Amino acid sequence: MFDILKDLIYSSGAVSLTGGNLVMWLVSFVLLYLAIKKQYEPLLLLPIAFGILVVNLPLTFLMEPEHGLIWFFYHYGIEQDIIPPLIFLGLGAMIDFGPLIANPKTLLLGAGAQAGLYVTFFAAVLFGFDLQEAASIAIIGGADGPTTIYLTSKLAPHLLGATAVSAYAYMALVPIIQPPMMKLLTTDHERKIVMSKLRPVSKLQRICFPIITAMTIMLVVPPAAPLISMLMLGNLFKESGVVERLSKAASNELMNIVTIFLGLSVGATMTAGTFLSPKVLFIFFLGLFAFVVSTAAGLIMAKIMNLFLKDKINPLIGAAGVSAVPMAARCVHKVGSEANRRNYLLMHAMGPNVAGVIGTVVAAAILLKNLG
Amino acid sequence: METDWSKVFEVFGSGIVGVFLVMFLLQVLTQFSTRVIDVVENLGNGKGSAPGADTPAPATKD
Repeated sequence: MFDILKDLIYSSGAVSLTGGNLVMWLVSFVLLYLAIKKQYEPLLLLPIAFGILVVNLPLTFLMEPEHGLIWFFYHYGIEQDIIPPLIFLGLGAMIDFGPLIANPKTLLLGAGAQAGLYVTFFAAVLFGFDLQEAASIAIIGGADGPTTIYLTSKLAPHLLGATAVSAYAYMALVPIIQPPMMKLLTTDHERKIVMSKLRPVSKLQRICFPIITAMTIMLVVPPAAPLISMLMLGNLFKESGVVERLSKAASNELMNIVTIFLGLSVGATMTAGTFLSPKVLFIFFLGLFAFVVSTAAGLIMAKIMNLFLKDKINPLIGAAGVSAVPMAARCVHKVGSEANRRNYLLMHAMGPNVAGVIGTVVAAAILLKNLG
Repeated sequence: METDWSKVFEVFGSGIVGVFLVMFLLQVLTQFSTRVIDVVENLGNGKGSAPGADTPAPATKD
């Protein structure tokens, strides 16, 4: 009887617990709190937090190669590049490119915000990260979770957990991070600029846009193909109006299913051994830096464009050039309406906001081309 | 490990220029295609080249 009890104790995970495991439990509990109580990106943070918790329970071997359950999700979903493109398929079926088609020059604002990403790449190299790691950290500034995961899994898979959590955490913190930058880099007069109503966009224009965009980007930057093809296919489902079932399946059922596997797999990469290092702290710091610089770059780009435009744009919409759809656009609208109650910037900001999604994919593809 | 600074500058420069070029190309193609579609749709509606067709609305005027 005593021997059975002894065996049970010695074969339990409890005796193999390390201090690192306990710290990771704490990280998991903090993320669970943020997801459940504060509702910060709960769809992703909750499965990520649970993934962290279960993978830091000793002797479960959930991430053991060729054997662990979550390892299979991770291997086939992320290492084999299945999940991020599927998320983009669902995203495409949800995104309205209408404001961008109505005002195509906002594509340049989506590009402007990516300049911040390359500044961060430079800064990360100065901090001692190698080029692949620096690129994976810089992409956080694009504020696009699936693209961050896609690029990191290819260039620096050991940083996957830290970059993904950092990207989603800062996306949730857009309403706190962006407004001070917006106010710092624009004058009161600029924030009051009222933009003219957007032109109507026909159904044919909406159908042609994803086809033209997919062809153009894939011809010029082929490494963008997995993400951009799925994004535009999802959008074509939506805009064609003839495959409503597929559009709904992509944006609801499929999106929800892959989100579960994505979150769980990313969380499960965060074992004490990989996560508890000074590097991770730097990643969180540089992630914030990337986000702030990208916001600033978008605002500055809008101000530069105003030097050449007859009909001035409200430079606040440049801040929406980081992706974070639609949070960044909502934030722009809020700051704009605080400056001028007649200002309704939401639809104007949606243009650069969705352009930011495209811009981040292009930036990631160029990084992949140079460093992959 | 020694940092390859020439590679860093290459990635930095080609990245910024590359993103702007692709997005600019996309802007031009989007503007062009929407104008062509406007003209075709207006012709189809019997409006000929009405002002709305070839004159972009204020928000798109550069």
